[in-house]
Amino acid sequence: MTASDTGTTRLASPGERLLGSLRRLRLSDGLSLATLAVLVLVAIAAPVVAPHSATAPSGIPLTPPSGSAWLGTDEVGRDILSRLIFGLRLSLVGAVLVIASGVIIGSIMGLVAGAVGGWVDMLLMRLTDVFLALPAPVLAIAVVAALGPSFTNTLLAVSIVWWPWYARIVRGEVTAIGARPHVDAAKLAGVGRLRLWSRHLLPGAGPSVLVVASLDVGYLVLILAGLSFLGLGAPAPAPELGAMAAQGLRFLLSKWWVPVFPGIAVAALAYTANLAGDALRDLMGDR
Amino acid sequence: MPARVVDVSDLRVTFERRGQPVHALRGVSLRIEPGEIVGLVGESGSGKTVLSLSLLGLLRGEPAPKVSGTARVMGVDMVSAPAAQRRRLLNTQLGAVFQNPMTSLNPTMSVGRQLLEASGSTDESVRLLEAVGVPNPQSRLASYPHEFSGGQLQRIMIAMAIAGNPSLVVADEPSTALDVTVQMQILELLASLRDHLGCSFLLVTHDLGVASEIADRIAVLYAGKLLESRHSQAMLNEPAHPYSIGLLQSRLSLSSSRERPLMSLPGEPPDPRLPPSGCPFAPRCELRIEDCEARMPEPAELTDGGMSACIRLQEAATYRTEYELPPPWAEGAVSEDVVVRLNGVTKTFKTRKGWSHQEIQALQGISLEVRRGEAVALVGESGCGKSTLLRVVSGLLERDGGELALAEDLDPQMVFQDALASLTPWLSVQELVGERLRGRGKSKTEARRMVIDALQRVGLTEELMTAKPRQLSGGQAQRVALARAIVAPPGLLLADEPTSALDVSLGAVVLNLIGELRRELSLTVMFVTHDLAAARVVADRIAVIRSGEIVEIGRADDVISAPEHAYTETLLASVPGQGPPIQ
Amino acid sequence: MAVLILRRLLAMVVVLLVLTAVIFLLRQVTPANPARVALGPQASIGAVEEYSRELGLDQPLVVQYFTYLNDIAHGDFQVSVRTRRAVSEDLAAFVPATLELALYGIMFAALGGLVLGVVSAARWRGSGVVRNVMLVGASVPSFLLAFGLILVMSRNLGWLPGTGRSSLPDMPSGPTQLLTVDAILHGRLDAFWNALRHLILPSATIGLASAVAIGRVLRSSLHASLDSDYVRTARAKGLAERLVLRRHALRNASGPAMTMAGLQLGLMFAGVVIVEQIFAWPGIGWYTAQSIPTNDFAAIAAVTLILGSLYVIVNTAVDIAQMLADPRIRR
Repeated sequence: MTASDTGTTRLASPGERLLGSLRRLRLSDGLSLATLAVLVLVAIAAPVVAPHSATAPSGIPLTPPSGSAWLGTDEVGRDILSRLIFGLRLSLVGAVLVIASGVIIGSIMGLVAGAVGGWVDMLLMRLTDVFLALPAPVLAIAVVAALGPSFTNTLLAVSIVWWPWYARIVRGEVTAIGARPHVDAAKLAGVGRLRLWSRHLLPGAGPSVLVVASLDVGYLVLILAGLSFLGLGAPAPAPELGAMAAQGLRFLLSKWWVPVFPGIAVAALAYTANLAGDALRDLMGDR
Repeated sequence: MPARVVDVSDLRVTFERRGQPVHALRGVSLRIEPGEIVGLVGESGSGKTVLSLSLLGLLRGEPAPKVSGTARVMGVDMVSAPAAQRRRLLNTQLGAVFQNPMTSLNPTMSVGRQLLEASGSTDESVRLLEAVGVPNPQSRLASYPHEFSGGQLQRIMIAMAIAGNPSLVVADEPSTALDVTVQMQILELLASLRDHLGCSFLLVTHDLGVASEIADRIAVLYAGKLLESRHSQAMLNEPAHPYSIGLLQSRLSLSSSRERPLMSLPGEPPDPRLPPSGCPFAPRCELRIEDCEARMPEPAELTDGGMSACIRLQEAATYRTEYELPPPWAEGAVSEDVVVRLNGVTKTFKTRKGWSHQEIQALQGISLEVRRGEAVALVGESGCGKSTLLRVVSGLLERDGGELALAEDLDPQMVFQDALASLTPWLSVQELVGERLRGRGKSKTEARRMVIDALQRVGLTEELMTAKPRQLSGGQAQRVALARAIVAPPGLLLADEPTSALDVSLGAVVLNLIGELRRELSLTVMFVTHDLAAARVVADRIAVIRSGEIVEIGRADDVISAPEHAYTETLLASVPGQGPPIQ
Repeated sequence: MAVLILRRLLAMVVVLLVLTAVIFLLRQVTPANPARVALGPQASIGAVEEYSRELGLDQPLVVQYFTYLNDIAHGDFQVSVRTRRAVSEDLAAFVPATLELALYGIMFAALGGLVLGVVSAARWRGSGVVRNVMLVGASVPSFLLAFGLILVMSRNLGWLPGTGRSSLPDMPSGPTQLLTVDAILHGRLDAFWNALRHLILPSATIGLASAVAIGRVLRSSLHASLDSDYVRTARAKGLAERLVLRRHALRNASGPAMTMAGLQLGLMFAGVVIVEQIFAWPGIGWYTAQSIPTNDFAAIAAVTLILGSLYVIVNTAVDIAQMLADPRIRR
């Protein structure tokens, strides 16, 4: 029995670890991730997949669902299925763009606030607190209404009210990580400030940002559809799911398929996104 | 009244974690007689908490753990009886005290109401609080948990546990989360309650010293198996199982040798996901033979009525007295030049509460000189300012007043209590250790060579280079932290309670490692600890700190054997396990 | 304690000021000139310039902002282009309907959230199904839910009305303008029943997403609290699981759920814009939906200010209520 003994345990290789985390993925989680992947692929390949044009009439107006038009046609005679496929694309693009801008702006703000601390932190966090204390959807309505309705303005409006969430999360993580002794150890090891931030602080915020971002996809799909329903999205005849449902509202009691199918498309997209987000959270959660 | 309060028979508990079975208990049998205090001793992961939760019928998990065997308390099997029956037993015959009293009481409910749930009447609550020594019980009933100190809260927990005169109280690490001077009071309270109430206690602890203070009998648990069960005196004086012998040898006491490394157990406990089929201690045992690893030895009855699960009893009995001592330390060289000089250093923390500012004086004029090659221990209870002092010396914290002079090129490095948290989770061991070599003009291969050297010096192998911190065991993490500190040898090594989060046997290993590195690399060491026994072993000099002031400083042996300050005496009296000396 | 509440109130005032500033700035960004809007397209350029000066539009921005603050403090929200009436008059007519809807919506949400949270947190066979139902509930856009409820409950089954606040010609009108309350004040049970039936579908639509959101938060905080040391202590006393849940777990888990309920009540005011349009509910949501296509920014700005302020005030109230309830802060 001597002073230094090796306490070696066998380490899992990267391959084994990947296999391990895949094994932990439940069947239902795998299914939801796969469904989301299919929806994304359909959205990307919309021009190829869609049977008809999204904007030009292809049949008799207000045809019920049938063999030729699976989901029927709208009041102009456009194929609803084709419009849904293109609408899916707009929804996904919108959600991803808002999240991307939120993550980028929020990460920078959050990192600077959390890492610098002091009055910079005070100022930035008071700013985000004020934004977070305001109702995002209501503000978005006002911003789009002021700028004039268009797809770009909608995304701009939602992005403006969205980044504070990410700033808050990144800042929280960075502050929590900054209090860990590993940051002190790195400082004593002579690590420079930039390297300290990029190698010892920011990577720690990655998992939670990823999880929040993935759960946000579903939420944003709903918010964007809502704004578009109010006529605050792309002008007609763009195939926006919310706008399609709003325009079909007057046929609700007689030709139900016109407003209902776009709503179902929104729900399906949001549901798979939420499922996938949950799966991702569980996976990250027990790392 | 049944003869046995507790009768656990062949209890097996298997949890599922990440789809893999974790074998927490693998066939444990244990009995407790009326009025008996049994100390259940085991290191982390041994299954001791699972055993205590089994007795309370509180095993939970998602998915539910697989349980076989029985855990009878007063004749009721707490792992299989109907929930209503178990609840009735918990209500009338069983009490529980848990490790952390700060989180074990409901923060939003008054102490009186929480007590009432166990006692049944306010009068009884008052009587119970009196019995456990809470002053002014009548007026404290309306108070909430956050208005009490940790020690007071643990007394309240104990009051709830003894409500209704139970037959058994399960106390899981009841003193571990408390300050050293409070620990002993809690243990004394438990012992006196046994004398007055006549109930049995199961005292679960990682520390043989704590168990030996009040237990009648000590049972040693290791990797889900009971290895030895003996009367306390017999366990301390003539342990029969090689693991118990090793535990006792590596246990720090105020009489441990300072001239040579501490005795320590090699290796680490087995992975609970893949427990060995033979004796779980065999891989670390010097006395093992082939048969040991082939199958688990049957428990052997000893002449004094105790039990030891070992087939090498004869050899163990010899080994207990005739073992080889580690070779003594080489003579360390302490030079005369002072490398750290503090003169009246002060530090105040400001906290804001509403609009009023509060000031906490963490350091109130500390003066101290440390010479090159010297090891100084800073000893005190939590909140005394010892860690703050270390951080001021390291430069991580600015001092408010006084003078601080460090020798040039001292490059202080620090190891922390929570070694795992001191390693950046997403970087590999190679990156973590190699980071200190950046900007020192080392080529890639040169740096790699130095990292490997450092790892080997702390007893790790090259294979660990690619590992991420969470793949390391607690002992390995502390070794990696040490490797990072010495990859480019610093002039000053700062150690902040580096062993207090580790199990006894691992703690001895790390203390030895620091002793070895210090002498080989001629490091100056400042070592912060709450444990005078550890301080005495590591340091040349000991400084006792209370409320931000050094109350006593002197040569380690002098401070221990002839303390000058009353506070030092209090600390000394609080070191557990000072009963009869260990042979 | 008082200091904490005061700070919280101060923060609220700051947020409200920022809200007014944001709306003020948005008003500057809109292409529409308020003077032109007020005078109509036929007015000459000279007249518009004259009127602009009268409105103070040539003043520095800061001065204009204070004029704006002064205006809204006096309840002047300018004139709506669409209705040609003062926006404040329009609001007075439309706000009560929305308040009543939101009130019933949040009751539905709170009750539903409590049930969903407790039922999905407990470990039983059906909890997985409940969790999935909650996930669906969180994914359905409110307009689809409204469509479904109208088609099934109103058109196909004919159980409940799908449009408007009431179908009685002689609805009693009273002090609160909340139909269910006024009906009771007038002792008209038939009118109360009629108004309540009209409220069921829209308030369910508006409350479902909130119920799910509250339920999810309650579930996770219940999980944390059921795994806590103090719940283990409560169980070790031999308390029945029902008591452990009610006295110990739920009490400590309710904080985050309360906060979420406050947030949801605020968000509900935004949700009304869609839901009121579908159910032809004559509230400020419906008013806003009508204002959007006509670019009636004065109306939208006023609604944003009202809804935003309600959101801020409600959340502050919830925060303060929680401070008062927490023994660690109370003393």
